[in-house]
Amino acid sequence: MVSFDVIAEAGEARRSQLQINDRTLETPHLFPVVNFYGGGNEPALFGGGIHRTVKEFMINHPPTTGDEDYSDLFHGVMTSISSLTDYGIREKKLEEYLDNEIREWDKFSDYDGMIFADSGGYKILKQDGELEGADFKKDIDQDKALDMQLDLGPDIVVNLDHPIHPDDEFEERIEKMEKTAANARRLAERRDEVDGACYVTVHGYYEAMLERSFDAIEDELGQPIDEVFDGIGLGSLVPRKDNVEVLIEAVSDCRREMQQRGYNDLPLHVFGISGNAMPLLVAVGADSFDSASYLHQAVNGKYCVNLFETVPVDEADLDACDCRICNDGLHRDRMRNRLDDLYQKDILGSVAAHNLAIQQRELRRFRQLIAEADEDQIATYLEEAVKDQKGFRKFAYKLINERIKPYFDDDGETSYA
Amino acid sequence: MHKTPQVNEVNEFIEIASDFEDPLEVIREALSNSYDAEATWVDIEINQDDEGRNTLIIEDDGHGMDEQNLASFFDLGNSNKSDAIGYKGHGTKIYYKSDEIRVETVKEGIRMESVMDQPWETLNDRELPTYSVNTEETDETSGTRIEVHGFRAGQGFDPEQLTYNKIEHYIKWKTIGGSTAWHFDDDFHEFDIEVTLSSHIDDTRDKIETSNKLKFPEENLDPDGEFVAERMCKHFPPRELTVTLDDGRELTIEVVGMVGGKEARNDLPTYGKHSAQFGIWLAKDHIKVERYNDAIGADNEFFHFFFIANCQDLELSANREKIRNKSGDVYQAITDELERFMTKVCQDTWYNDYIARRKLEDKKRSVQTQETSLQERLTKTKEQGGLSPSNPAEVIAALERYSANGSPETIEIADFRLDEEVNAIVDTGEEYKNAALEVKLSDFFEDETPLTHIDRFICWKLGDLDALTKTERASYLGEPIRFDFNNNEVRYGAEDAKTIPVLELADKV
Repeated sequence: MVSFDVIAEAGEARRSQLQINDRTLETPHLFPVVNFYGGGNEPALFGGGIHRTVKEFMINHPPTTGDEDYSDLFHGVMTSISSLTDYGIREKKLEEYLDNEIREWDKFSDYDGMIFADSGGYKILKQDGELEGADFKKDIDQDKALDMQLDLGPDIVVNLDHPIHPDDEFEERIEKMEKTAANARRLAERRDEVDGACYVTVHGYYEAMLERSFDAIEDELGQPIDEVFDGIGLGSLVPRKDNVEVLIEAVSDCRREMQQRGYNDLPLHVFGISGNAMPLLVAVGADSFDSASYLHQAVNGKYCVNLFETVPVDEADLDACDCRICNDGLHRDRMRNRLDDLYQKDILGSVAAHNLAIQQRELRRFRQLIAEADEDQIATYLEEAVKDQKGFRKFAYKLINERIKPYFDDDGETSYA
Repeated sequence: MHKTPQVNEVNEFIEIASDFEDPLEVIREALSNSYDAEATWVDIEINQDDEGRNTLIIEDDGHGMDEQNLASFFDLGNSNKSDAIGYKGHGTKIYYKSDEIRVETVKEGIRMESVMDQPWETLNDRELPTYSVNTEETDETSGTRIEVHGFRAGQGFDPEQLTYNKIEHYIKWKTIGGSTAWHFDDDFHEFDIEVTLSSHIDDTRDKIETSNKLKFPEENLDPDGEFVAERMCKHFPPRELTVTLDDGRELTIEVVGMVGGKEARNDLPTYGKHSAQFGIWLAKDHIKVERYNDAIGADNEFFHFFFIANCQDLELSANREKIRNKSGDVYQAITDELERFMTKVCQDTWYNDYIARRKLEDKKRSVQTQETSLQERLTKTKEQGGLSPSNPAEVIAALERYSANGSPETIEIADFRLDEEVNAIVDTGEEYKNAALEVKLSDFFEDETPLTHIDRFICWKLGDLDALTKTERASYLGEPIRFDFNNNEVRYGAEDAKTIPVLELADKV
């Protein structure tokens, strides 16, 4: 059973509940990317260095997390079949991993968050449609991708897609869209095998492109998307992740396209984007995101001060942070490297949890603001968030001016000091 | 033992009086003083006699001066005004650069007349000048008249330098006469300003009659017509921005402004280049001081904007020409907030429509220019009787025409790269040849391009035969070269000379 209920709206931003079987997720939501299998065995939580530490936070493993339970930071996670071979595992190991669904492993049996199983199209396309381990290569098509996704025991699956690139020639883009649409049709044919939600990916940076992507899928399906799928995933934005203007236009136009085609009741997931663009994308109607940036930043020793700024972890002012991790003595000591026998994964694991907490905190605030249905407050929140971001704030101001409330009304009255 | 540092008073007076760079600063000081004296009008008269001697007369109906005020007028750094523009006691010292200062003032039934004779000469003799004071009772209404005779304005008041237009611009840009306080202050104190120049200086128009309000050109949000963007204008209403500093202090910035095209901006008393006058002005006492055009950001052109941001927490240099506390947190906070505000202005829908309309009109203008240019080209082409190549693309067209019209040989362009030294590969039907394709053959040799990989020359015409002869006589890249136009070829090199055929198209097409 899948349902998506909008419980509050403020402008184009919406707060909703995504219910899949007996699991519920509040949106807007950020799915942190988690690499479940990192080459190790079950007692070591399948390894992965800092990935392992993150999984320990996820399942609330007290030797790592201390007295506090931080598993709510991982209430819904994203994992990708393409990450299964990140650690160059052998085929036998892969088969062993996929032999059990994630929650069938004892270590993960208590994890009750949602698992979004991505097909990893971007990475697989880059690897010429292959998944490559230490002693094997597998051609991945839609059926094989779905088989592997289902082996993970997911709550959400998505078709194998062929992400477009800004430099693609027109013909190349069309070909990719058609291949993605064909995969969507194949996933639709096997819909009954999925005991959860099925998302379909669309690709494009602006309305005309998205229109073509939606058309390709509808033509291939021969029926409206919402007859088969439970959500829309907007892909291909990663190469444009630093151009917030493009991101806003893409998400906004995707929502408009959904509206025009009667898919407004479906959730919109934005693949691969998080961080500073997130509040603005929520304001134009994005419902969920996924990203590994919290982890990548930590791996590089970067501590998030807010959505915009990072500092080297040894320069971080932990006292200035109100997140739970920074107010937990154990994790403060870890981030300060004050304990004996600390591994990098221990120090950086706490930093990753902090980084994620910062992003989740912002989304939580946003959810509250939407619940209050006060557009003025949302505008004020966005303004405050981008206050000191010179290059970024013009996009936020533009969005506020055009979509929430004009700064200078035609009658000469002004709003927002 | 303690010692008191000494001040060289004469030097101080000379320094302060000389610190004013522009003689028009006397007008700024006069207007500020009259404003501080709550005058309802002020008349300024500037005369210059045939010998270039300047007389300045400033008269207002302000509250006049008593003996203490008069002392402050002549003293240095002894202003008795605390909450006023001229609180430093420096301004009136500009009058010291003169032959005589005469002050007549009436305050509360007391009339005082004061004269300082030869202030500048005395100072330069290293003495402090003195002034006389005569006091009497009177029933005249309050007011002040200041005459400054022999004011040393350099060439600033000379007829070729000073015009009504320049003064009016100065009043609106640099003095309290261009105040934007009336947008913010309900008790705004308005006063009339008149400036008269002697006919010797400027007789082209009547005196300036204005007030101390800076008024923007009339709004013109959406004018009709084809080329109207330059007339468009929008006012951005007054806004009070507040900023709290780390130490808890609160700053208020009063901002008001307009955006407009050149014609609209010209409704203001502009003087010279707009890029030197428009943009984002920081002001104190609502008198503009310096621009901070960085507030606009590189995406936008600052001269469309005329914004005045007043903040009383700015600190100015003695001559009010510069902001002094630029390195402090106050200035940083003001400019940060101003940048945020201007970013919002730049997102305004009307502003973006205005910029889009300008672009569109520019395109339309370029279409008109295209039409003219095409017409001229057509006339020229007709005169020439058809194709007359002036660039490689036209030579290619000529070559195609040559090949298509029964030429003895087939030469087709297989590949062409404009920026390559050997720019063409041609297909002769039998094989591919490397070719240098030029409008004039003589141009090729100017560039001293090696001939190693060139199999053929294709040109519209041979070009400057004298230049080719000169090359022939001097050798080319160290090797002998011979142009044999009877046989249409170039021979290059001493031993194993290479022969390169030349195809000249002009007489064949």
